[in-house]
Amino acid sequence: MKLASSLRWHLNVTVLGSAWLKWDRLRLARKLRRPWRHPHLGPPLLTSPRLKELISRHYLRGRFANDRYPVAWVTSGAPVEVLVALGYFVIYPENHGAVCGIREVGDTMAAHAEAAGYSPDLCSYARADIGAALSGETPVGRLPRPDLLLCCTNICQTVLYWYRVLAEHFGCPLVVIDTPFVYDQASEHAVTYVERQIEDSVAVCERVAGRALDSRRLQRVTSRSKEAVALWGSVLQCGMARPTPITAFDAFIHMAPIVEMRGEELTVAYYRALLAELRRRVDRGIGAVKGERHRVLWDNLPIWHRLRWLGELLAEHQVAMVASTYTNAWGELAELIDPARPIASAARCYIHPILNRGTGHKLATMRRMVGEYGVDGVILHSDRSCKPYSIGQVDQRSRLAGEAGVPALLLEADHNDPRSFSEQQATTRLQAFLEMLAA
Amino acid sequence: MRTLHPELPPIPSRADAVGEHLAGGGQVAAVLPVHYPRSLLRAFDLLPVEVWGPPVRDTQLGDAHLQAYTCSVVRSGLAVALAGGIDVASVLVVPHTCDSLQGLASLLLDLVPARQAVVPLYHPRVGGPAGTYFLAAELRAVYTRLADVTGRHPDDAALSAAIAREEAADARLAALLARQGSLPLGDRAFYTLARSREYLPAERFTPLADAALALPDAPADPAQVPIVLSGMFPEPMALFDAIAAAGGRVVGDDTACVGRRAYPAGRSDDPFVRMAERLVDGPPDSTRGSAVAVRLARLRGLVAARGVRAVLFLEVKFCEPELFYLPLLRAGLEADGVRSTTIEVDVTEALPHQAITRLEALLETVAP
Ligand code: SF4
Ligand code: SF4
Repeated sequence: MKLASSLRWHLNVTVLGSAWLKWDRLRLARKLRRPWRHPHLGPPLLTSPRLKELISRHYLRGRFANDRYPVAWVTSGAPVEVLVALGYFVIYPENHGAVCGIREVGDTMAAHAEAAGYSPDLCSYARADIGAALSGETPVGRLPRPDLLLCCTNICQTVLYWYRVLAEHFGCPLVVIDTPFVYDQASEHAVTYVERQIEDSVAVCERVAGRALDSRRLQRVTSRSKEAVALWGSVLQCGMARPTPITAFDAFIHMAPIVEMRGEELTVAYYRALLAELRRRVDRGIGAVKGERHRVLWDNLPIWHRLRWLGELLAEHQVAMVASTYTNAWGELAELIDPARPIASAARCYIHPILNRGTGHKLATMRRMVGEYGVDGVILHSDRSCKPYSIGQVDQRSRLAGEAGVPALLLEADHNDPRSFSEQQATTRLQAFLEMLAA
Repeated sequence: MRTLHPELPPIPSRADAVGEHLAGGGQVAAVLPVHYPRSLLRAFDLLPVEVWGPPVRDTQLGDAHLQAYTCSVVRSGLAVALAGGIDVASVLVVPHTCDSLQGLASLLLDLVPARQAVVPLYHPRVGGPAGTYFLAAELRAVYTRLADVTGRHPDDAALSAAIAREEAADARLAALLARQGSLPLGDRAFYTLARSREYLPAERFTPLADAALALPDAPADPAQVPIVLSGMFPEPMALFDAIAAAGGRVVGDDTACVGRRAYPAGRSDDPFVRMAERLVDGPPDSTRGSAVAVRLARLRGLVAARGVRAVLFLEVKFCEPELFYLPLLRAGLEADGVRSTTIEVDVTEALPHQAITRLEALLETVAP
């Protein structure tokens, strides 16, 4: 059996899969060398084929991972380094949800969950994921079954209920890392609480993996996480250049490795290459939007099922979406990570993401980004099924527009469920906003 | 004052309780759902008065700050606060019960100032020593905040005395729940008594509960269909008239605001640790992220103990904590042959007619 699964892995992943993905990368790279003719968008990033290879490889390995690795499903903001150091293959259901959204099957997946009684008012990532678990359908071929679930509440409380459902469905252990909300600075007792939980989780993770945690390996993984997070921060800062060589739409796609493959060497190498390309673009004045005239900031999750539509609509008006609070969240905490103290520093780092902080902190972040990125307007995506990110936006919008004098639009949609989106209504609102920018 | 039973002393209304407390020199704390340390507030002579979205029809003041997909408890809670409906309170306690209340706490502290001192409270989502350690430390921080607001500094003895009173009151609540359905009180009267815990001080609630517990059991009416209630809270109270009219009777409770708040006594001599233990060790609850299996086991236990074949879930639209658990709980009950239905309520609206139809259908399917 072991031999058969080993052969299956080598054949499908190491030999055929790798060769196919490499061929596909080269094919896409060749395509990108052709003259670029889009009327509004700048030339695509040359590292894109490499990103596609990286992500496809990840999901390809995922298909066969149960034969070879312990598998963990984790939330996007979870302290994943212990798992990576223990050799887990890690799947992020939210990322998978985003893939469903981009491939325009978010609603189909959600419908499976709704048919089983899950309310259409629940987070559309959760519905897509539960729907995929119940139906076995996925646009990525096959998701490996989890041996362990790791849920960290630093993005929302919703993930905890969602993972309770998964734990019941898969009958596997669930580790919860609870991160108290931060108003100003995290209290020492909150940090200690998180640190204790991470420490306590190690025993469960070791038991499921069937091996002991090697502290030097954990330090190496933490060090790679820190480097990747810092590189990602630098990638995003390229958006400060005029014209910007990268839009937030690009960043939504290129953020996959920092969410999904933190702690891996390939992720560090990928972001090094991306950063080098962006810097070359800055030097040569290559913009992501042709004739960039206006710059906007995005707040909240992307509307995955309308990324292209929205990107082209803005570009048509020579508007570049130069930054977003969402992608920024994975790039701003590098300095808190200390590879010499991997668990203690993880506790401090993972309690501080923007989603675990107050509405005032988010407003301050947006104001800072407006200045740093030279932004003319802000689009706040009022995301129907993501309360934690959306509550507070009504007042954030009016403060930005009032006190800071920055035109700001509240755009109603849903990150993954096209049924909660009216393209006609959104177009009307966006056009009025764009006219205001142009005035 | 209301009389629930000829042999029971009248029960004070919210306004009576608040008026009496203020007249005695105390202060009031408005509290949003669900879990919070009553004894800590009481040690500061703050009377906790819970705001579960009083039956307001006009939520405009809340809607001006919160999107329509925020649950009605949160929107109406904010509307009430901004309309001056809790001006009598000097403190507003906002537990981090769910993402929406967490957002509201932050909104009130950062962007939409309330007229009261806002005290947020993070409730740990893991139990055991780590959760107790954190909550005890969090309660110490709340103590400091309350001391700043009230100018009082209750000592450990005062805290312990307040804890003892609340533990006694919770024991009475548990005893009432154990006899739910057999006491000679209709559902409306039973819930009026049980929910007076939401505004009465423990020392007023305990004798009332004792008087009710001294009443002899009423003979069971074989024509009535016994049911268990689950979900967030039994609102609107007109629901009980609908249950009675449909031939039902509530004999067990698993709602977040009643049954899931019959906290056990603590164990520690340290008052903060003891308060934390009580909250952390409370009955399984969605808002604390309890495991599905544990919640189902509790429901099954209630159903079996009361000989019930129907469960009614009362849920608030957009309530994530509850709505994630619902399908698995219902499927688990269904597997045992227990029927269930869900009624979705909006605290700003009257009981929808569709809810009454569902209720009638549920009772019909299990009627003898
Ligand atoms: S509720 Fe929002 S933050 Fe939470 S998982 Fe869903 S999209 Fe992410
Ligand atoms: S009803 Fe649900 S969503 Fe609303 S405040 Fe209560 S726990 Fe939160």
